[in-house]
Amino acid sequence: MTAALLTLADSRLPAGGHTHSGGVEQAIAAELLTDPASLALFLRRRLTTSGAVAAGLAAAACRAVDDTDVVAALAALDAEADARTPAPALRAASRQQGRGLVRVGGRAWPHPAWAALPVQPHHPLALGVAAAAGGLAPRDAAAAAAYLSVSGPATAAQRLLAMDPITVAAVTARLGPEVDAVAAAAVDGLPAAADPLLDLLAEVHTVRTDRFFAS
Amino acid sequence: MEVVARRDARGRTVLPVVRASGQLAVRRTGEGAVHLVATAFGPLGGDDAEVRLVVEEGARLSVHSVAAAVVLPARGGSPPSRQLVRAEVAGVLHLTPEPTVVTARAVHVAELHAELGEGGELTATEQVLLGRAGEAPGRWTGTTRVVVSGRPVLHTTVGLGPGTPAWLPPVAPRAYVSTVRIGEPRAAVQTGVDAVRLPLPGGWVGTAWAAELHEAVARLAGVTRERDLEVAR
Amino acid sequence: MPPDHNLDDYVDPYDPGHRHGGPLRVGLGGPVGSGKTALAAALCRTLGAEYDLAVVTNDIYTTEDADFLRRNAVLPDDRIEAVQTGCCPHTAIRDDITANLDAVELLESRHPGLELVLVESGGDNLTASFSYGLVDVQVFVVDVAGGDKVPRKGGPGVTASDLLVVNKTDLAPLVGADLGVMRRDADAVRGGKPTLLISLREDPAATEVAAWVRGEVRARALQSTS
Repeated sequence: MTAALLTLADSRLPAGGHTHSGGVEQAIAAELLTDPASLALFLRRRLTTSGAVAAGLAAAACRAVDDTDVVAALAALDAEADARTPAPALRAASRQQGRGLVRVGGRAWPHPAWAALPVQPHHPLALGVAAAAGGLAPRDAAAAAAYLSVSGPATAAQRLLAMDPITVAAVTARLGPEVDAVAAAAVDGLPAAADPLLDLLAEVHTVRTDRFFAS
Repeated sequence: MEVVARRDARGRTVLPVVRASGQLAVRRTGEGAVHLVATAFGPLGGDDAEVRLVVEEGARLSVHSVAAAVVLPARGGSPPSRQLVRAEVAGVLHLTPEPTVVTARAVHVAELHAELGEGGELTATEQVLLGRAGEAPGRWTGTTRVVVSGRPVLHTTVGLGPGTPAWLPPVAPRAYVSTVRIGEPRAAVQTGVDAVRLPLPGGWVGTAWAAELHEAVARLAGVTRERDLEVAR
Repeated sequence: MPPDHNLDDYVDPYDPGHRHGGPLRVGLGGPVGSGKTALAAALCRTLGAEYDLAVVTNDIYTTEDADFLRRNAVLPDDRIEAVQTGCCPHTAIRDDITANLDAVELLESRHPGLELVLVESGGDNLTASFSYGLVDVQVFVVDVAGGDKVPRKGGPGVTASDLLVVNKTDLAPLVGADLGVMRRDADAVRGGKPTLLISLREDPAATEVAAWVRGEVRARALQSTS
């Protein structure tokens, strides 16, 4: 079943992720992110907060597919996702990516659970359903969510700062053990780790007119 | 510790239950108002305090504290001290304690679980300072979960201090303040220097951080003063 | 055939061949400065009275083209959607069209009678082209000022677009470009598909391009009813 996980985590999966920087564009504007070292810190910060939250929700959504009332279970998780994502800009970014993943995931791995998702679900919920539909386990869903919380932002930094792609790949790869640890810790609960800095960056970013990324 | 606030026949708030134990004492300080008083220095590592607040329909309860809580490490390896506040709110609850100062090597875990009924109102503030003047920062982890009419509207865990996952340079502040307000129209987003207010169904949550507590308080005030309503985006 | 390989599973609701009804989606691509936005504005002015139309812009800086259209095409705000392309304009129209599909679908749901959607790409290079998952037909816009060797150089935009537009013919004498060479080179690589040499400065209505778009709208209407 590994191939389905690789597909889910592949940045080439056309689910719209490439237009989101996960706060990187604004962190660069705020001069909080300037070089590989500060990129590594920013990615760790993101991984251990929104990445952990996404991993928990994705694992739970994957599990919810087996629930007797899938619709209610997924709706409850969507509400939990909202409660953990108070910043409207981050909610919009999550739901936009959720919609994109439903579009491609529903075609790639047909499954009745897709229809049980709310309209424009939070991205981790779509990820959990995609994992279940692809025959994966909750732990895999958590792994994909944790990994995606850093891989897309890393690419955004590479593009915006014209960083050496090999350095960026190394930064991302070296976070591997932490990505695994976040996924493993999140799989049986719903972490709520928050970073007010990411909320602030997202809200300042969303009202800019001169941005390359949707978030 | 437990406090129950009830509206009596004349519409006044009475407190039929005011009970305390352990290192916390409770004093009635007015109609529907109590102050928490620490009976000993601390909290100390390993201390576990649970506060249950019940505000019945039509009642108002204000909870303050008389002084900052200074969290100290226990001797030897310090287990965390914990404070859990469980609030059931059908009336109006103001939970505005004095700051928590987490001294070097101390680890403190604070949790607020508030369940609001239809029409319940909540104002809950948190003010945290890591380390006394000139001292290394301690570690603080605060979780806030607010449920309104059975629906979660806010659930966040913020970690501050060495060893918490996202307390990393260049943004690793010593002072942190937040306010959750439920019971007014959904507020608009406000951003400021190291401060942000976010809308919640029926209110908002504001957060600010700085090197010093008074700066953080001022920054939070800067983004929460205006009561402008959210415009559709 | 195993059920997983039943081709029915792969019916693509976004593939123009399977997307029933809905507006004609026209991609407008081409290098920076060739006149994509000016052409989009011209088409809006010329066709706006005939068709229920809307525009999606993919400018690198989100709102610049959208603002230009608002000023120059008299198109109401709710008929223009701008998408962010994450510094990668060609990815957004070819490899991962999610953001553009979202924008097109938003416009379609907002204007149920929509007949024509122009999707203007962010300025890119000669290799950029639209996925047919996003558009039904695509127009590639180059300009004379880029030199008369552009058609000869080819690239998917020049060779495979449904319509090649060579803009700014009025500048040909100034830049020493030979329009005859451009026409001949384009015809040689385009396998019979049309090429129009135009000057939006001399013909701000983009008459010939508008006529081609009308033909495509009619063709799609016939296809949908057959």
